[in-house]
Amino acid sequence: MRRELILALLLLPLLSLTLVLGQDAEEAPAGKLGDKGDGSRAHPTHLIPLFPANEDGEKGPQIDPEGDPVLPFSTKHTCGECHSYDVIKHGWHFNATDVNAPTGRPGEPWIYPDHKLGIQIPLSYRDWPGTFRPSQIGMSDFDFTKMFGRHMPGGGPGETKAEDVDNIDIGRQYISGLLEINCLACHNGHFGQDMGGVNGWAVQIAVKENYRWAAAASSEFAAVKGSAAGMDIMYDPFMPEGEDDEPQVVYRDGAFDADGNVLFDIVREAPNERCYYCHSDMYFAHGEGHDEKWVADEDIHLKAGLTCVDCHRNGIAHQIVRGYPDEVADSNNPLVATTTCEGCHIPEGSDIPEAGRLGAPVAKHVGLPTVHFERLSCTACHSGPWPQDDAVLTKTSRAHRLGTPSVNKAAEMLPHVLSPVFAEKDGKIQPHKMIWPAYWATVTEGEVQPVALDVVEKTVGKVFEDLELKANGDWPGISPEQVAEALKALNDAVDGNAVYVAGGSLYRLAEDANSVVAEADHPAGEPYMWPIAHTVRPAAQALGIRYCTDCHASNAPLFFGSVAVDSPIASETPAVKDMVEFQDISPFYAWAFSASFVFRPFFKIVALGASGILALVLLLYGLRALGAVARVLAEDE
Amino acid sequence: MFETITILVFLATIGGIVVHWFVYPVGAECPGPIRGIVRVLSLLLIEQRSSTLGALKKLCYLVSVICFLLLGLTGFYPVLVHGEHISGWLMMLHATLAPVFAICLAILGLTWAGEYRFRQGDCPWLQKLLRRVTRLSIPADAAEGPCNCAATTQKIAFWAIVVLALPLILSIVLSMLPLFGTHWQEVAMAAHRWTALVFAVAVLIHTYLAVRLRILQ
Repeated sequence: MRRELILALLLLPLLSLTLVLGQDAEEAPAGKLGDKGDGSRAHPTHLIPLFPANEDGEKGPQIDPEGDPVLPFSTKHTCGECHSYDVIKHGWHFNATDVNAPTGRPGEPWIYPDHKLGIQIPLSYRDWPGTFRPSQIGMSDFDFTKMFGRHMPGGGPGETKAEDVDNIDIGRQYISGLLEINCLACHNGHFGQDMGGVNGWAVQIAVKENYRWAAAASSEFAAVKGSAAGMDIMYDPFMPEGEDDEPQVVYRDGAFDADGNVLFDIVREAPNERCYYCHSDMYFAHGEGHDEKWVADEDIHLKAGLTCVDCHRNGIAHQIVRGYPDEVADSNNPLVATTTCEGCHIPEGSDIPEAGRLGAPVAKHVGLPTVHFERLSCTACHSGPWPQDDAVLTKTSRAHRLGTPSVNKAAEMLPHVLSPVFAEKDGKIQPHKMIWPAYWATVTEGEVQPVALDVVEKTVGKVFEDLELKANGDWPGISPEQVAEALKALNDAVDGNAVYVAGGSLYRLAEDANSVVAEADHPAGEPYMWPIAHTVRPAAQALGIRYCTDCHASNAPLFFGSVAVDSPIASETPAVKDMVEFQDISPFYAWAFSASFVFRPFFKIVALGASGILALVLLLYGLRALGAVARVLAEDE
Repeated sequence: MFETITILVFLATIGGIVVHWFVYPVGAECPGPIRGIVRVLSLLLIEQRSSTLGALKKLCYLVSVICFLLLGLTGFYPVLVHGEHISGWLMMLHATLAPVFAICLAILGLTWAGEYRFRQGDCPWLQKLLRRVTRLSIPADAAEGPCNCAATTQKIAFWAIVVLALPLILSIVLSMLPLFGTHWQEVAMAAHRWTALVFAVAVLIHTYLAVRLRILQ
């Protein structure tokens, strides 16, 4: 009896402890199934049911390909079954409209071009200095999505609800739907992922306003017909009438198994092609007739066997590593501190060896004075095309709609992006892409604000309606008199103070109202620049590989290359600026310092010669001293 | 750390020179500071021996003094005052004068080495020691002569300058050649900085003693 009592007394606390811990474990908050891996590097098989979004945006019943109506699957409710969509949407690709998201280092803006109106204006939701919010030119999030959603992965402005703002037609949005995050844009491993095809993602958004259907259209197992843009305002996509022009999804035969599940080819590590759709560049640096992608090499990291996501990693939060210095201040991704150029190629300061990550060769920089690391970014010597005498026209996926149907392939197509431009930012010279903004604006209390596009279209558009536009999409070449006329027309609409910003200058109407007065180098016309990171050249093609004069010569492109001042206003002598004007260096000093390198070989010869003489003197008298010591030690008189 | 040590070393050196000047005044008649400076400058500029080679040597010395002053200013000023590396026009001036200074050092090293050889009588206590521990026949009266410390110290300073000139020059010239990676570039820079500090002290001592001995002569 006593034994049983003792046993019970011993077991009772243990039992209570178990219950308490168990209760705590049950109450611990848990992410969804797919938020965190279990350690297996194998890809989980995604044989999953599809779910749509219903009229209220909530999860609808499982999609039946034979049902009526057949709705497009919603990534939020399909992928969101296992992956926390609300966490993902705060990630870098999707959080532009999130006011709490850090802005990070200024990057490539969205550029609105209009060659007839003389506009190329950089837009961003991230308040990067030099960019404008879409609302400043009267563009709603719906319109922005239609214009630029072709090269967005969804989310962000595509999910702004009409009831939360006052500039989106709630009826049109009901028909089109929201542009949810398209997980397949990055994570579809199937070759059938269609972002830029004739019925793919871009066309569904930009032409047809089929936001709700776009993700399905991009997948390999669904096709979308019809167009929300063509539907009457009274059209209800959840009660279609069966007309051919209505937006509708047709799932491929055999896509669904017996249980109504669909097999996705989902990969965690996005293939390079997914990234390339939005992040391709074309530098017109190889001369006429040599402006195709096969002429230029890809990034050396890719040729060495890495993929984009080997460096640009993220977890479920999708705080993707951008890879710039000081990114730790903007991101809580634990890899940002080490996933930089230095992090892999020159690792220091760690208790354990970290050199050679991902097969990275350790940079020795033989013969390079250390001051270069203080004054230049890694990309200054290693990234972008080899600098030539002039910054060249450059195209990017997002600015020039690369990879979508009917793209104007001419180099001069707007917007005019120039690169590489070696400018100083954050105390270091680094290569940039650049645009010279051009836009119609008003000046109020000294502040220049762009005018809404519809106002410009109605006023300036009328003045320029007879302008002869070029087939290559280049500026038509506006005269200052035409600018004056346009300003007069615009003045009436904006109650005076109309100005035109172009080519770094601000143009106002002159007193006679028939001509314009230009204020050169106006702050409102400052070029917008964003750093180049790729395409990284091999080490054997780094600046300085030949000799110091790759950069330190009086005609070296790094300091003395030319940057055209791009402007819609025609000029007999187009203005140019030297690279050094974008750096915090006196042009005369840059020239004098570069010129001094002519004497560098003589400096070395003289210094080595003088050292030789001094060494010989030391040797001679040192040997004599040694002789004297030897005689003393030998007690030799 | 380098800035702090440099300032302390320079203060100690200049302070020591000033103290030595007043503790051991030169001759019975002190000419006064202005007359003294004029006299020193005239001694430096006017060749006492009329040979062409002598004049060239004196000119070389003058140029090297000017170069040393400018190199010292351009080299130490940004580090000590602004806490920055040398850059800009100062760096260009420094790099322009450096080879000139190197040539002058080589010429002075070659032409003055004989004059600055260590001889008997330079260090009486050493001779006394040798007389005691060896069988060498060292005359007692020579061994017991007064110590010409100033001249001996000047010789030591001269040879220190010659010895230090090598790492001072080579640390920069070799870093210009494709030999050293980043780590050794930093080592070379540090070597140049620290060598320059010790070199400057040796030059200051040598120059002070040269002036002092000239006045005594």
